[in-house]
Amino acid sequence: MILVFGEEFERDVTYELVALAKRLGDYKVVVREDFDDIDGDVIRVERLNWKVVKELHDRFKPEGVLFANAPSGMDLAPKLAGITGIPMVTNVIKLENGDRFKATSLTYGGKVLVDLEVDKPSIFVVNRGYYDPNEGRGTPKVEKLDLDFEDDVELIEVVKPEEDVDISKAEVVVSVGRGIGDESNIELAKELAELLNGVVAGSRPIIDQGWLPKSRQVGRSGKTVTGKVYIALGISGATEHVEGVKAKNVIAVNTDRDAPIFRIAKVGVVADVNELLPVLIEKLREIKS
Amino acid sequence: MRIGAIVRIVPDLVMGIEIEESEIVPFKYVPNERDEHALEEAVVFKEKTGGTLEVVGIVDDELRDDEAMEEALALAYAKGADSLKKIVLNRRTFDRREVARAIADHFKDYDVVMVGIQSIDSFAGYLGGILSGVLGYSYVGGVVGVDYDGGLIVQKELGGGVVGKFRVKTPAILGVVSAERPITFVPLVKLRQAMKEMKVEEIEVEVPDMGGIEVVRFYEPEKPEITLLEGDVEELADKLVEVFKSLSLV
Repeated sequence: MILVFGEEFERDVTYELVALAKRLGDYKVVVREDFDDIDGDVIRVERLNWKVVKELHDRFKPEGVLFANAPSGMDLAPKLAGITGIPMVTNVIKLENGDRFKATSLTYGGKVLVDLEVDKPSIFVVNRGYYDPNEGRGTPKVEKLDLDFEDDVELIEVVKPEEDVDISKAEVVVSVGRGIGDESNIELAKELAELLNGVVAGSRPIIDQGWLPKSRQVGRSGKTVTGKVYIALGISGATEHVEGVKAKNVIAVNTDRDAPIFRIAKVGVVADVNELLPVLIEKLREIKS
Repeated sequence: MRIGAIVRIVPDLVMGIEIEESEIVPFKYVPNERDEHALEEAVVFKEKTGGTLEVVGIVDDELRDDEAMEEALALAYAKGADSLKKIVLNRRTFDRREVARAIADHFKDYDVVMVGIQSIDSFAGYLGGILSGVLGYSYVGGVVGVDYDGGLIVQKELGGGVVGKFRVKTPAILGVVSAERPITFVPLVKLRQAMKEMKVEEIEVEVPDMGGIEVVRFYEPEKPEITLLEGDVEELADKLVEVFKSLSLV
């Protein structure tokens, strides 16, 4: 039996986990929130913390446990592995059931895949975007369990970011990464965005540096861009970043022709953004004038 | 308040790696970026609480003298760490359960331990979370800020730019994704001085064999067919303008 723990803070990924679980065998899905269209056996609990996870793990003795590579799953899965000592695989993009589990994990910043064979029971933290969430939707058979264990971690406040622009809704996003080199070069990206009637955004290292506000972050921890064009300038394309890129057309500029960002790009340009941008901007200015 | 921070080294992806079926061969190692954030946050937390900060490097035996580990510890010293330790794992393992069990005894007396939420070479667990399970400590990952009001208040990313504030019981392990301030720059002169002055206690530990995960092969993901433009900058700019025109952007 496969035990799926729904993602508390990012609900949609739960359906992807269910889609995967259906391929692996019998399954039960544990959720806290009011999910009313999960296909299969659903266990609803008041709280979803590590004590509840441990209790349900002990009760059902699953051969495999699925968590999402998301805020809640990334806390609960390793805690369970630490307590029980059972094997744990992260960044899973493919999983098959047999005498042992066969898992594929995407690692080294998206540059390497590793095929693994894993003993049962085991824990898997699954990346989003690899299983169709619609396959996880259906009619639930709900069982409510009264498992009200207090946790050593208590949510006291949720803070939403102040937004000047919603990059998730912009049609054209010009996004900068570490390859931009220096804060002053962000002005070039802003100018390009202006010339293309777009907005400027960035990957995590740029936000960490404080060069752009948090509201401009693209990726797992930031926003998902869904517009017409995403222009990635000097962004390597780590898994956490590309999970947030769902634009119809991706154009990537990077000096490393093996950069993972090229795997999601329609057009890739092998170049130093800081050499390319001034020339490109000049040409666009000429056209505009 | 006794604060700990863990620093590790990982393959430098900028310098490149060689992907062999049985192993990944790095050309160079660098301090793990998320651990650099954990260290920075630990320094901030020391400043807020007036606590003591002990920084612990964790490294495989074959890399015990690698300059990246020396650099990671020297950076910690230069930023204000009160003491430094280096835990040397007697054998290399990708399995974070094994690392956590090997080092657990050395993390029993802290109030708060900060560690990068993950390292780029991980595929078998997150060290901080597993260590918390082994020790019975509280755990929060995705941490972007830590405060103290007599108790621990932790800010955690919840996705989409949303942050949750959590009250966390101590002792706790925090998986830091990003420090609340940009990482402070340490000039080369100060770093060299730190390398000369710092004293590092070395501890060798045995890594248990827990089994259960077998690597079948490492390989490169397939490269989808894309239009790849290469050449001089003038030429590339012209081609990009054509691409923009085809998308009705100009």
